[in-house]
Amino acid sequence: MLRFILIRLGQAIPILLAIYTITFFMVRAAPGGPFSQERKVAPHILEQQMEYYGFNDPTYIQYFRTLWQHISFDFPPLTSYPGLTSKDIIQDTFPVSLELGLLAMFVSLAIGLPVGILASAKKNSLLDYAPMSFSMIGICLPTFVIGPLLALLFGVWLGWLNISGWFSWSDRILPALTLGLFYAAYIARLTRGGMLEALNMDYIRSARAKGASETTVVLVHALRGGIMPVISFFGPALAGLISGSFVVETIFQVPGLGRHFIQAALSRDHSLILSTVLFYAALIIIANMIVDIVQVMLNPKLRYG
Amino acid sequence: MSTPILPSTEAHPRSPWKDAWRKLSKNRLAMFGLGIFSVMVLLCYASPLFYPHSPTFQTLSFGATPPLTMAIEVRYDPEAIEPDEIITPKEFSDLYAEKPESDVTRISSGETLDISGIIFRKSPIIHLLGTDGHGRDLLARIFQGGRISLGVGFLATFVSLLIGVLYGSISGYLGGKIDAFMMRLVDILYALPFLILVILLMVVFEGSDHQLLLIFMAIGAVEWLTMARIVRGQVVNLKSQEFIEAAKATGVRTSVIILRHLAPNILGPVIVYATLLIPAVMLLESTLSFLGLGVQPPNASWGTLIKEGAEKMMVFPSLLMIPAFFFSLTLFAMNFLGDGLRDALDVKSSKD
Repeated sequence: MLRFILIRLGQAIPILLAIYTITFFMVRAAPGGPFSQERKVAPHILEQQMEYYGFNDPTYIQYFRTLWQHISFDFPPLTSYPGLTSKDIIQDTFPVSLELGLLAMFVSLAIGLPVGILASAKKNSLLDYAPMSFSMIGICLPTFVIGPLLALLFGVWLGWLNISGWFSWSDRILPALTLGLFYAAYIARLTRGGMLEALNMDYIRSARAKGASETTVVLVHALRGGIMPVISFFGPALAGLISGSFVVETIFQVPGLGRHFIQAALSRDHSLILSTVLFYAALIIIANMIVDIVQVMLNPKLRYG
Repeated sequence: MSTPILPSTEAHPRSPWKDAWRKLSKNRLAMFGLGIFSVMVLLCYASPLFYPHSPTFQTLSFGATPPLTMAIEVRYDPEAIEPDEIITPKEFSDLYAEKPESDVTRISSGETLDISGIIFRKSPIIHLLGTDGHGRDLLARIFQGGRISLGVGFLATFVSLLIGVLYGSISGYLGGKIDAFMMRLVDILYALPFLILVILLMVVFEGSDHQLLLIFMAIGAVEWLTMARIVRGQVVNLKSQEFIEAAKATGVRTSVIILRHLAPNILGPVIVYATLLIPAVMLLESTLSFLGLGVQPPNASWGTLIKEGAEKMMVFPSLLMIPAFFFSLTLFAMNFLGDGLRDALDVKSSKD
């Protein structure tokens, strides 16, 4: 197991380096620089700024300097937030995105798992058809349609919740719901499929034969196998939760990292773009690794594969 | 041995494509999807021929009106052919407080209303779905947005099809270490959040003349991964199949093997995946447009229309609901059609 983790970590390093390189040159190829969108400044001040942020050095020096700054966690000052570094921005805003992501994950599991299990246990009944049709809607409707519609319903017409901001606990409901519903629908379908397959296995028949109650059979025996598709979905789901949070943070004005990333891209803040992309990539690589490890732990077959 | 070699009683062998079509036409949801999708494509692309409103023409007094809003032509000179002004029924009753709105709405088309020398007439053209915040006809905007959203969907899917099929078949055909390396690369790219890459690509190409072209190139460039995997799997699988060996052994030319034996077997999954990719791409494009990174005004896509609607939903909910309805309906239709095709062409589910 330790060897497996070490190999995966070893693979992560060239991946991160490649991502850094691609992003570095893509950002530099983009038209407009970090100072071109502000109002005109005097040439000598611009020159000073260029010098201060190190844009006057040859590209290869900038490439290795920025790389070293990211490796040693000694981040350069940002052009769009003078006096701050990427570390400050990520430290301030990532917890918000993380909270949103975890809440959405909770929503999706709390709705998706029970619905999927119930649908598989009561196959071809109303308890199967109704939720599965609903889940198709949940999968097809994009986040940026569900979000404004929920805001319209609960915020404007019913007036129960705020439609923007991130202050009280009730402000968390709509963003988390918007982000979580798609995954709830997907998880419900995956759970149903996985459970149906597991319920057809021989060991389920054995469990029934030894007199285990139906609840025990479904929740103890079948669930362990039936939940595998959901677990392997967690890797891509995390990437989706991050991308989805760009949209949700924009709809509900949530002060998370996603909005700052888009802002950084629009204002050509080279360091902030680089740091954010690397941060997201590292996050996803780690999450995928954890998913792989959990899968191996739950399924002994994979251990020797 | 008296058993006939060919037990078939049919005169013509049925082609697998006809079989698939028969299966598909029995699937009601899929046919519904196909119908909706065809109508939507036809409406969006043919609407300039018959729909009277231009998506860019602004009637200044018509800022965000509800569906079925009629226009009232105002002529100060009774003989004038062109109306001097076009106003809404509400404006009419605001102008003439003693005349309620119902007064004008009740006049039939053709009939005129003369109030102290000013002639009012109901315009023969109404805004079926009302107007947007800038006084442009909403339905015309939706058609225009649909042209762009669907166009991006088709073209990006085509780009990713091209890359995916090429990459996948090369990887599958060559096999060995090259295959392992190429597929490992796909695995790595899979683990990245696409949206970040697309956003960076959009930023790099921002403000260039061919922005729309670049949007679908950018989307196509990241959406080919699954296609590459599917095609590679098929090629690896087929390469060692007996009927290919048999064809080779009987001296069938390589080009015929590829066209008659390999291509039809790869085509099924490719068609299914492409059908499901179109809505996925449209979704991605709309998400970008919603974030302000995609289609820029005065062009519209369904994403920008929904964005504009979401900004004004407090006052004019219909501006959000109507484009959202069109967009979701199309996505539904495409997904149902794709699922139906999957069943009809008997492609194993690639989802789980």
